[in-house]
Amino acid sequence: MIRALRKLRAHFDWPLVLAIVSITAIGLINLYSATRVAPPGLYTQQILFFLMGIGIFITTAVVDYRRYERQAFNVYAVCLVLLVTVLIGGKVVKGSSRWLGFGPISIQPSELAKLAVIFALAKLFSGDPLDIALRPSKYVIWAVGLMGAPMLLVAKQPDLGTALIIFLIGTTVLVVMPLQIHVKLITLGCELVAGVVVALFKLHGYQKKRLLTFLDPSLDPSGAGWHARQAIFAVGSGRWSGKGWLHGTQNQLQFLPEHWTDFPFAVWAEEWGFAGCVVLLGLYCFLILWAINLAAGARDRFGQVLCIGVASLLFWHVFFNIGMVTGLLPVVGVTLPLVSYGRSSLLVVMVSLSLLMNVSIRRYSY
Amino acid sequence: MAPKGLRLVSGGDRARGRLAPRSPFLWVQLCVIGAFLLLIGRLYELQIHHGELYYKKSADNFVKELELPAPRGVIRDRQGKLLAENRPAYHVVAVPRFFTDDSLQRLAKLLHLDDEEVDALKAKVAARRGLDRFRPTPIIEDVDRDAVGLVESHRLELPGVSVISVARRYYPNGPLAAHTIGFMNQVTAEELQAARREREGAAATAMPASTAERDARLASLQPGDFIGRAGLERQWESFLRGKDGVERVVVDAKGQQKLDVDSAELIGAVSGLLRDEPQPGLDLVTTLDVDLQAAVEKALRRHASGAAVVVEVETGRILAMASWPAFDPNRMSGRLTRSEADALIKDPGRPLIDKTVREHYFPGSTFKIVPTLAGLGDHLIDPDEKVTCHGSVLYGKRHFHCVEAHGKVNLHSAIAESCNVYFYGIGERVGLERMERVALDLGFGAPTGLGLNGEVAGVVPNMALYKSQGGGFQKGSILNTAIGQGEVKATALQVAMAYAAVANGGKLWVPQLIERIEAPGADGVNRVVETFAPRLRRQINASPEDLRQIRAALFDAVNDPKGTGWQARIALPGGVEIAGKTGTAQVGNKRVRAEGTQQGDHAWFASYAPARAPEIAMAVLIEHAGFGAKSATPVTFEIVRSYLELKAARAKAAGAPPTGEAK
Repeated sequence: MIRALRKLRAHFDWPLVLAIVSITAIGLINLYSATRVAPPGLYTQQILFFLMGIGIFITTAVVDYRRYERQAFNVYAVCLVLLVTVLIGGKVVKGSSRWLGFGPISIQPSELAKLAVIFALAKLFSGDPLDIALRPSKYVIWAVGLMGAPMLLVAKQPDLGTALIIFLIGTTVLVVMPLQIHVKLITLGCELVAGVVVALFKLHGYQKKRLLTFLDPSLDPSGAGWHARQAIFAVGSGRWSGKGWLHGTQNQLQFLPEHWTDFPFAVWAEEWGFAGCVVLLGLYCFLILWAINLAAGARDRFGQVLCIGVASLLFWHVFFNIGMVTGLLPVVGVTLPLVSYGRSSLLVVMVSLSLLMNVSIRRYSY
Repeated sequence: MAPKGLRLVSGGDRARGRLAPRSPFLWVQLCVIGAFLLLIGRLYELQIHHGELYYKKSADNFVKELELPAPRGVIRDRQGKLLAENRPAYHVVAVPRFFTDDSLQRLAKLLHLDDEEVDALKAKVAARRGLDRFRPTPIIEDVDRDAVGLVESHRLELPGVSVISVARRYYPNGPLAAHTIGFMNQVTAEELQAARREREGAAATAMPASTAERDARLASLQPGDFIGRAGLERQWESFLRGKDGVERVVVDAKGQQKLDVDSAELIGAVSGLLRDEPQPGLDLVTTLDVDLQAAVEKALRRHASGAAVVVEVETGRILAMASWPAFDPNRMSGRLTRSEADALIKDPGRPLIDKTVREHYFPGSTFKIVPTLAGLGDHLIDPDEKVTCHGSVLYGKRHFHCVEAHGKVNLHSAIAESCNVYFYGIGERVGLERMERVALDLGFGAPTGLGLNGEVAGVVPNMALYKSQGGGFQKGSILNTAIGQGEVKATALQVAMAYAAVANGGKLWVPQLIERIEAPGADGVNRVVETFAPRLRRQINASPEDLRQIRAALFDAVNDPKGTGWQARIALPGGVEIAGKTGTAQVGNKRVRAEGTQQGDHAWFASYAPARAPEIAMAVLIEHAGFGAKSATPVTFEIVRSYLELKAARAKAAGAPPTGEAK
């Protein structure tokens, strides 16, 4: 343990931590403004989660990730059990059962599922390289299965946003992995067909409505489209330098929906303008590119896939959240890492980032 | 062959560390950068390219404009006494969208509305369409305080109903000068639609400046607004009507006003001012004398229906203008029940018609000044020439009658005694064209220019008119024209203005009702915006000698025992005399002298006073009253007496000795 801490200090990944700290700072500054009109106590809670998150970050980082490798499938199995449990006995909030309560603590197993899938895929692809090269279809089928099971369970809750993220993480890992190009193409093709089928037959009414409203906003100017439009007004009205911290009218006068969970970026864009957006996007971009760099320099295949998985988790969260806020993508509940309010998503992000640190400080050991 | 990827985890890569020049995931990183550039591009589009648009839209979200109603200008008489003012009132209003049948039934029970009122109320609510259904619509106007209390205390049971306080037009003198002052009521749905079209059209098409101003006023109409419907209220609407102000407040997404934000800063950045102060309407100071007006109406009231106009001889300013029967403009402003409205419409005295300008009559013998001036002007008649009147004259195959056999008459006695036979001869001699020319010159046959209540032009016949009619021209028409019958039509105002011109030596004035316009000042003191000087319409084409001759005849028509007005003469203060001409306007084909029936002839008396130094000219018309001297002349004497008494009283109050009539 002491050795591990020393190692952490010796190989401390400063760029990674600086990026994380900067984004976190922005997130907290922004959340202060966003939660001024929220139910009281949210901001204090978020600070507490962060402090907790730092503890988890350090703890997770000092334990050599190869010990996680041995537990990867166990973690995955526990997560599946939790997902099934939440479907049976979870707390129903706004029509979907996402929460599991353990006394005062309640968690969202769907958030954990993202990590579990990353672990399981990393474990899968850390197998014998020769075997992977010779029998790629076996691995691909396994990978799709490992990703698909939790994805379907999450979609059943229903939590479309998280299911989508799980799917995208799994698919990204498959695409980035060194497999033959035709294997990748066939996999993608199958997934596409499956996706269309699901969209046609399995989507809930409100999910379909959101999708249709996104495709044609005039269908419902006051309902589902209203939130999306107000978010665009907020973003656009920021212009070059924004309306100033705490002075965003869309935010302060409550024209933005759920602006501390799904739409904090609209608050940021309104109050800090294009300049602020470029800074924040730059930081995210750097963080993700850095994670990919870490993948390239990882000591082993498990660490590499871990980094790719975390990078894709971060990327898809950022891309979907901002795409949704700016009207490029339909409104699906996807949080903005380190900026959105939310305990489970924050803790999952902290663990993910600590995995990056974990891989980073052990690049030079053996 | 080993897959390419295997090399990625080889020792070489590890040795190169994080600065690996050929990262195997370079293409992934490029994809990431591309995705971020896409997001940045989208942000550029929203924030920079369309930034101003979205800024405006975000501002539209939170700026709510509250209307600050502007007070309407008041109308005063020449002494400063109020003819129309504003007083606080309460309306029961309903938001049609939330107004249920239940509310209606409860409200009807609460305020004891009868079926007729309930129907009217339903119609008002039903007339609102679209977004107007969310606007409070006045359904019962000007309720008393008891009703306000009742509605307020039952608000919970009356969804969509509330009470608002508004400024309401009030006419302190009730029906006095009702036609001249006019009244107001609510804009109709059609007018609002027209206003909306104007508003939309105005943006699309460039319009001439003159109509643009009117349209701007029209276009600002809102449901529930009152506008002038008649009289000065209508004619001067654009002056009386103020410009409503706006107060801008910050509201949140629920539409609630936010008091804890810096409204000035937020609103200042987008819409400018927090408040556009309402601009009060302009006040009108009329030339009317409300005391004289009251005397005129009192005198008229003895008869079933009639009209009277009193103008200043030397200015053309109208001192009093009355049409009887009248209505109460306070009731007209939306409080009229259907039965009251029906009664007004069916009243044989036609109280809604302004009989001073809107209705024209045969001027009868008052028109005889026209053939006289025509004949004198062209030296076609010799004033001393005598004609013998046998009571009628045969012309063609028709007998043209006179009131009696006057015997030998000359011009002077023909006017004074109102001999028709004499004027038949004159008419024949001067002809239609000359009479037409003089009549037009005296202001007949064209609106006087007052522009009030749809003033009619009257009729001065000419050849073209007769030809356009089926019967064509007959020589007898000239004879009828000479005595103010046949096709000749004139309004009371035209007659008064013509007699003023005779009295003042030939100056035909444009009748004037508005002396000046004033703007209410912030300090409570009015500022004069514009003062209107008397406007001469024209100097009539008549020699002073001819006019003097007519005046002498008009004097004797009243003050000579043989004159038609002699019987009705009463003694006036200071021995003042009146000069004037009686007239009888034929109604129907047969002359019916039965007073008080609907077939009776109309009685005229056109005059000026004091006869020797004229100050006021008058035209009095009593409908169906038969002979002019019996009804119209006494009314005129009453008016002049009141005028003189008022003048004396005011001079005394001002501390100056009475002048003029004291000689």
